[in-house]
Amino acid sequence: MPLPTGYTVAIAQTALALLLAPGLVGLIRWLKARLQNRRGAPVWQPYLELRKLFAKEVVVSSNASWLFRVAPFVVFASTVAVAFLIPVLAVPSPFDPVGDLLVVVYLLLLGTFFLALAGLDPGSAFGGMGSSREMTVAALSEPTVALAIFALALGAGSTNLGQIVARTMADPAAAVSPGYLLAFGALFVVTLAENGRLPVDNPATHLELTMIHEAMILEYSGRYLALIEWAAWLKVLLFFSLLGNLFVPWGVATVLTPSALGWALATLLAKLVVLAVVLAVFETRVAKLRLFRVPELLAVSFVLAVLAITVSFLVR
Amino acid sequence: MDSAFGQLTVLGSSLVLLCGLTLLWRRGSAAHIGAFAAQSVALAATAGLIAVVTGSRELWVVAVILLGLKGILMPILLKRMDRRFGGPRELEPYVNTATSLVIGGLLVVLAYIVTWPILDVSRLPTRAGMPLAMGLIFVSLFVIISRKKALTQVIGFLALENGIALLAMLGTYGIPFIVEVGVFLDALMGFLVMQIVIYRIQETFESIDVEQLNRLSQ
Amino acid sequence: MIFLLMVAGYLFGALAALLFARGWVARWLTAAGAIIGGACAVTLAVAEVFGFDIGSFQIIVVLARRPWWLQGGVIQDPAQPLSAVFLGVVGAIAIPAALYSIGYTRAWEGRRSLRMPGAMLNLFLLSMSLVPLAENILWFVLFWEGMAVTSYLLVMTEAEEPETVHAGNWYLGMTQFGLGFILAAFFLLLPPDGSGDFTALAKHAATLSPGLKSLVFVLALIGFGSKAGLVPLHVWLPSAHPAAPSHVSALMSGVMIKLGVYGVLLFGLRLLGGGPAWWGGLVLTLGAVSALLGVLYALMEHDLKRLLAYHSIENIGIIFIGVGAGMMFLSYDLPALAVLGFVGGLYHTINHACFKGLLFLGAGSVLHATHTRNMEEMGGLIKRMPRTALFFLVGAAAISALPPLNGFVSEWVVFQALLGGASIPQREVAVLMPIAVAMLALASGLAAACFVKAFGITFLGIARSHEAEQAREAPVSMQVAMAALALACVVLGAAAYAMVPALGRVVAGLAGLPPASAVTVSWSLRVPLSAPGAVGQISPLPILLGLALLLVAIPIGLWLSRASRALRVSDTWGCGRIAQTPRMQYTAAAFAEPLRRIFAALYRPTEDVSIDFHPESRYFVQSIAYRAHIIPWFERYLYDPVIDRVIAWAARVRAIQSGSLHAYLTYLVAALVIMLGLLMLWGS
Repeated sequence: MPLPTGYTVAIAQTALALLLAPGLVGLIRWLKARLQNRRGAPVWQPYLELRKLFAKEVVVSSNASWLFRVAPFVVFASTVAVAFLIPVLAVPSPFDPVGDLLVVVYLLLLGTFFLALAGLDPGSAFGGMGSSREMTVAALSEPTVALAIFALALGAGSTNLGQIVARTMADPAAAVSPGYLLAFGALFVVTLAENGRLPVDNPATHLELTMIHEAMILEYSGRYLALIEWAAWLKVLLFFSLLGNLFVPWGVATVLTPSALGWALATLLAKLVVLAVVLAVFETRVAKLRLFRVPELLAVSFVLAVLAITVSFLVR
Repeated sequence: MDSAFGQLTVLGSSLVLLCGLTLLWRRGSAAHIGAFAAQSVALAATAGLIAVVTGSRELWVVAVILLGLKGILMPILLKRMDRRFGGPRELEPYVNTATSLVIGGLLVVLAYIVTWPILDVSRLPTRAGMPLAMGLIFVSLFVIISRKKALTQVIGFLALENGIALLAMLGTYGIPFIVEVGVFLDALMGFLVMQIVIYRIQETFESIDVEQLNRLSQ
Repeated sequence: MIFLLMVAGYLFGALAALLFARGWVARWLTAAGAIIGGACAVTLAVAEVFGFDIGSFQIIVVLARRPWWLQGGVIQDPAQPLSAVFLGVVGAIAIPAALYSIGYTRAWEGRRSLRMPGAMLNLFLLSMSLVPLAENILWFVLFWEGMAVTSYLLVMTEAEEPETVHAGNWYLGMTQFGLGFILAAFFLLLPPDGSGDFTALAKHAATLSPGLKSLVFVLALIGFGSKAGLVPLHVWLPSAHPAAPSHVSALMSGVMIKLGVYGVLLFGLRLLGGGPAWWGGLVLTLGAVSALLGVLYALMEHDLKRLLAYHSIENIGIIFIGVGAGMMFLSYDLPALAVLGFVGGLYHTINHACFKGLLFLGAGSVLHATHTRNMEEMGGLIKRMPRTALFFLVGAAAISALPPLNGFVSEWVVFQALLGGASIPQREVAVLMPIAVAMLALASGLAAACFVKAFGITFLGIARSHEAEQAREAPVSMQVAMAALALACVVLGAAAYAMVPALGRVVAGLAGLPPASAVTVSWSLRVPLSAPGAVGQISPLPILLGLALLLVAIPIGLWLSRASRALRVSDTWGCGRIAQTPRMQYTAAAFAEPLRRIFAALYRPTEDVSIDFHPESRYFVQSIAYRAHIIPWFERYLYDPVIDRVIAWAARVRAIQSGSLHAYLTYLVAALVIMLGLLMLWGS
């Protein structure tokens, strides 16, 4: 059997990410339910939700414009584009020269931008509130992400994802260096903020006092909502892949043989399950923060990133 | 410095510093006492680690004293104080939380700049953690000057003492034993004095908000 | 030849405005003159920057004797690459602005004569084109002042509004203030033989002491910084740019403030040849502070054009971050990173001119349609003005640094330059770089939030006023101008692989920078970084194509998978309420409220709620008015005390104007006596 080419693997890994994303979120929900002494829906419930939503009719507000109908596609497209860039299974990917970590961050911001605009389009107060809060949180997590990228790039010498992964694999001791661990802590908090998880936002609530992400997409229904939810779940999986493969890169395939790819798949699933368990336990443990306490949490992550930079940058 | 020992001590120092930063982040006294207890335990663990690697018996004793005195005894006393004169759960600090955290981060960067000359001179594998200890000292000083509740200021002072101990350990593998014990006793005496003072403040003003002390000048 | 054509074009436009003054002839001819001039400027610039040889067409047909204005270094011949970049920016924005003015000034028919605005527009463009080309102190200052005066007259076009007069006064005052510092810097550099030629100045500067060179640089930074809008010399920008007509605002914000950047580069690189690290550090710090403060104040604005003006301050800050980083790397002898910093700054200059011009033209279209600049009275314009909304959206996405547009690429280059800060040996200085990275990231995140607000409240939702309900799409000329700039934003982003090496060649040779060091691979942009073998690489064009492909593939995928295609239009979900009014939407103040509370330490916001109760009963409310104010720190605590002090001092000096004839005669005689005495003293 001929060796798969880089492009095939890249497309396959994106398709895999798309397929796994609902399962990952289903797993997190199921774990949270079990931890809270409930039975919980089965792990494959999100797949059923997607199937239901794709079959349903879309109701669009009479105040909405073409932006409302285009935004789900933009959000989905930008998240899938990010899936091509992040090393999920194999590195170096042929799409490595296309984008680095900064491109990833700003492509996600592109999706958030359009989603926030779509929240304002129907002219409802919920949407405006969600957009306002979402952009606030996104703007305040930018400096943390930039400094975390800086800390990672210092070690690898570049912001290119392939080079960062390669450097950590070549120098395992670097993975437990305090700089990396602090950067991991900072990026973990950013993961919570960007994906709308507790304690920043509750993904299961629909009360206007507690919504951020859910408020923006309140008007969406049918296949539009399906695309947006799928994109949000894909974002969770991509963030987990980033956290896993940048900081614990062993298992990522460096050659494109079937055995290496199989091993990469197995380690990816293991990392995703571990992170899902960590997230589920964490979300069960903490309560949602008031909106005006969220900047304090983001300031904590910013300080962690500053510490990461000082520890790795200024001591050589 | 790149050795495992060096990395682990930096890790331990980072944990100690992070507990100190928690004093800026969390607002309730219970959280502060918990952070201080965790900090002392981390400090004791770091001391124990250095003791294992260098084989110094004095450092072992220091580690045990740290654990017993500051990790267990003082938090119990602090919790008792909190229960007696707790007062309102949160008092607005002079500087709000997010700004305090950013200032804390900048203070750590300042600490790095201040300790660079020492990093160049010292040859010990633990030298990489010294800026973090210095940062803890600055952060504790900032906690003392920016928080209003007397109990928090006491905890800040104790964290400051932790920072000095950490700096001594990382810089010179600990100071002479007699000096170390003397410093402990000083801290203990200071702590007991502060307990009496806080009791008096509470009696006079019915609260431990140190801003009330301004009224003494009237 | 092309140069003469450029000058002729502008003069023709000015003349046409003066002669005709009204009617469509005036509008078209004025614009035509400006467009011809702009096109020539762009041609010259592109030829110089990309290295095309247009030979004898470039400056002048070969004559037997060089005319007076090419002697003594009045105009550069051929144009230097750095000047060519700025010349190109002038021309590139002049064309859409002039095209736009055709439609925009039609609204002035019968109310306002085109004579002054049209003539001044062309003269403004002419002087802006000549400033980068000047090779001599005298001509530089002449064109600089020409630019200031013409722009002042343009700002005062609508002088019947009191706030316009106020804006004009501030603008004129700050311009003259800056000019004083620029003149001081030039005169300090003057060689003993008095020749004002820039090459002579550069040679003389090499002989000066470092202290004097630093003084010259600081003076130049203050002078040109006030033109560029660096904090704390920015206070004229938010009032002057909105007061001017929209195409003039686009030119002022997109082009004129860039000439301040040109001035700093002229002094920093060409005349003084680089200097100690603290120069770069100062520029970097001022840039980072401007970027953050600019966007923080922009967030609180509800006047669409003031918001854009504050964003200009932010982007100037980003440009100066790149320039400052470049200067720092230059002083530490890290040429590859220095080139990266300067290229980032120059690229952002070009990009900002494009998208800021586009945004101001868009804001002008909205103003033209709704007769208000207040965002709280707009809404729903995307349905009434679809094409304007689309172009404004492209501009908003570009300024928020969203890939694959041009704003993102130039910010990426600046980020990469800052990431190289790890190579700086002096660690106290190197610590500036991560701080600048954090501030830059925060500024760009807040800019995205601000433009969600600006676009969302203005164009989306339901119309909040009668004018917004009746708004009509902008005239065709205005749409074409905006479309051209929107296209430029996309193209400049995708063509980064060609732009960056060209800009690298531009800065080559200045202050000892090496020739082009940015390596490119086809379609992608690769820059070498500090660690050996490390490269940073992105490919904007594949990103653009990839996103477009995905945007097309997803609906196809949905269609193939037989997902439901049913769609029904209904009311916005209202949680059980019956009717929806525009007042139930989020307002701009509400959108920015979380950020106002988070940054309350900076804003010191005050709120003013006044409630009108129903005369019959206090349980019924007739109206509630909510006003939120923030403290303008610089105006109140920096400028007002200084102005008060100056006015008080001037009032005291006024005492010499006693009105008495005898006093004046005494002054004359006293002055004569003193001068004779001084001459005697010096003579001996």
